[in-house]
Amino acid sequence: MTRPLLQVKGLTKRFKEREVVKGISFSVAEGSCAALLGPNGAGKTTTISMLAGLLQPSGGSIELLVNGSPVPDRRPYIGYLPQTPVFYPWMTGKEFLLYAGELAGLKSREAALETAEWLEDVGLKDAGKRKIGGYSGGMKQRLGLAQALIHRPKLLILDEPVSALDPSGRKDVLSLLQRIRQETTVLFSTHVLHDAEEICDEILMIREGEIALAGSLDHIRRTYSEPVIRLEVGGDEASRAWLAAVGSKDFVSQAETSGGRAKLTVTDVELASLALMADAVAHRVMIRSLEAGQSTLEDLFLKVVQS
Amino acid sequence: MMDTMNTSIPWGLIAPLIVLQLILAVVGLISLYKAEATRGPKWLWVIIILCGNILGSVAYFIIGRKDAS
Amino acid sequence: MQFRLFFRKEMLEMGRSYKWLWVPLVFLMLGVMQPIVTRFMPEILKSAGNMPKGMTISIEPPSGAEVLAQTLGQYSSVGLLILVLSFMTIISGERQSGVSQMIFSKPVSYGSYTAAKWASMLSLITVSFALGYAGAWYYTVQMIGSVDAGAAVKAGLFYLLWLWFAGSLTLFMSSLINPAAGIAFVSLGAALLLSMASGWLPRYTAWSPGSLPQISAEWLQSSGEAKGAAGAAVLCLVCMAILFTGTIYQVKLKKSKI
Repeated sequence: MTRPLLQVKGLTKRFKEREVVKGISFSVAEGSCAALLGPNGAGKTTTISMLAGLLQPSGGSIELLVNGSPVPDRRPYIGYLPQTPVFYPWMTGKEFLLYAGELAGLKSREAALETAEWLEDVGLKDAGKRKIGGYSGGMKQRLGLAQALIHRPKLLILDEPVSALDPSGRKDVLSLLQRIRQETTVLFSTHVLHDAEEICDEILMIREGEIALAGSLDHIRRTYSEPVIRLEVGGDEASRAWLAAVGSKDFVSQAETSGGRAKLTVTDVELASLALMADAVAHRVMIRSLEAGQSTLEDLFLKVVQS
Repeated sequence: MMDTMNTSIPWGLIAPLIVLQLILAVVGLISLYKAEATRGPKWLWVIIILCGNILGSVAYFIIGRKDAS
Repeated sequence: MQFRLFFRKEMLEMGRSYKWLWVPLVFLMLGVMQPIVTRFMPEILKSAGNMPKGMTISIEPPSGAEVLAQTLGQYSSVGLLILVLSFMTIISGERQSGVSQMIFSKPVSYGSYTAAKWASMLSLITVSFALGYAGAWYYTVQMIGSVDAGAAVKAGLFYLLWLWFAGSLTLFMSSLINPAAGIAFVSLGAALLLSMASGWLPRYTAWSPGSLPQISAEWLQSSGEAKGAAGAAVLCLVCMAILFTGTIYQVKLKKSKI
């Protein structure tokens, strides 16, 4: 299942003088879940809008491959959920799903069947009879998911699907996505690494309109994670001085010290921790805690974003 | 003066106009009652619809309704 | 097929927002009011008082055709204003709110989308005007005097064409720009300029859509053929077709506000 479904080459968008998306290229494999990860203003929404066909790219190509060959019109094969979905407030949830289903090309009977099924799936069975004008943000997001999926698209494109939700709404939508991704290829944008880690297996980090880092989550974790030792010592003068001196040992490649704590990036965790403990004993310094592990994706994300 | 006018006023033709005006105001009030949100406070629109004749109701339908589009 | 879907939605929306009720109702009242006011004008003036003693008001009682022409004048101001204001956000509203993002990411035809909006708008205009004009005609005959049926029908049809043109103009403006006030201002301004221009420069604007209201009035008041009527009608339909095509193009170009 590594056949590409979406292939983007040199995608560019200029607004007047400003280049918001600077020739990005990537592909999304069939059956995978990819996150477009980046800080606010990195060009995520612009990219997503171009993928959804709402915005004309200034350059580059977007190809959706169905059964191995690119389709001339990709709209029948994608489902799209905007950042803050807006509906007709005078329609009921059920009416809107029917409408969306028929617009996507379903026959009215199919649309009715799918509507009933999706209302149930996203937990709006009862609310479906009410006007959308009275829905909460989380309900609208779930209705938005249902309208994006009603025609069983090959690719689901979501723009910041959980950013605006409260924790319980967030959990609902994430667990829905978890289920959806079993059947559908998903591409979504987010500025929260944690959301990406929770459901995705591919990551595209984007910064100032360019891809900064791309690959599978496992691969990135393996390639970019470094051995790290987190150390905490007592608050006395001698301990502090020792901690500051430890940073210059030859097995430490990078050290961040603050107060009685230090985060040391080392070459070898085992050797380093043994040496540290021996050194501490020699200097009669009491180690309160020593944790050996790997740097997290969060560390990497921050590094990419801030560099 | 009213007496002299009464004789010449074809009430059969004028009454429908008054009925139409009433219908318009009632429709406006029903719509206002059902509306989730309006531009400006609802009580103000009640006054405008009731006192503003045709124009009051029209103003409500055009400006006051929020969920029209 | 998609046209029917879009059209059904537009009709439903106009129903739920009470447009199908209040616009025809207001047009009917506008139409009926003119003959009533004309009929009672002498009494109203008399009761307003402040007349020097001994002075008699002698107002030439207008003919039925004149009153009907005055009714059309009402539609040219208040009626047009109401139409433009109630249709100004017909396209821009969906783009502004963001619901268009969901609609246009689906495999929809921009032509059907625009055509449904256009057709639903024209049907509301037609029903409202027909109702109001019929009411005005009936009241005129009852209270003022008879009107030549042939002339009245012809005048009504030409006037309807003018309203269709104004509606198409509003639809196009709504696809072109976002602020509602701007749409209303430009549409009303253009319609007003067009109709005034045919009053000032009749030679150069003989076939302009703006001469349609004038043609209607002429038809009512003089029994003869109005000059350039056929040309104006054809040109108006051509303009509407151009505006419609322009609207489709703009809808496709500006799918969402981002």
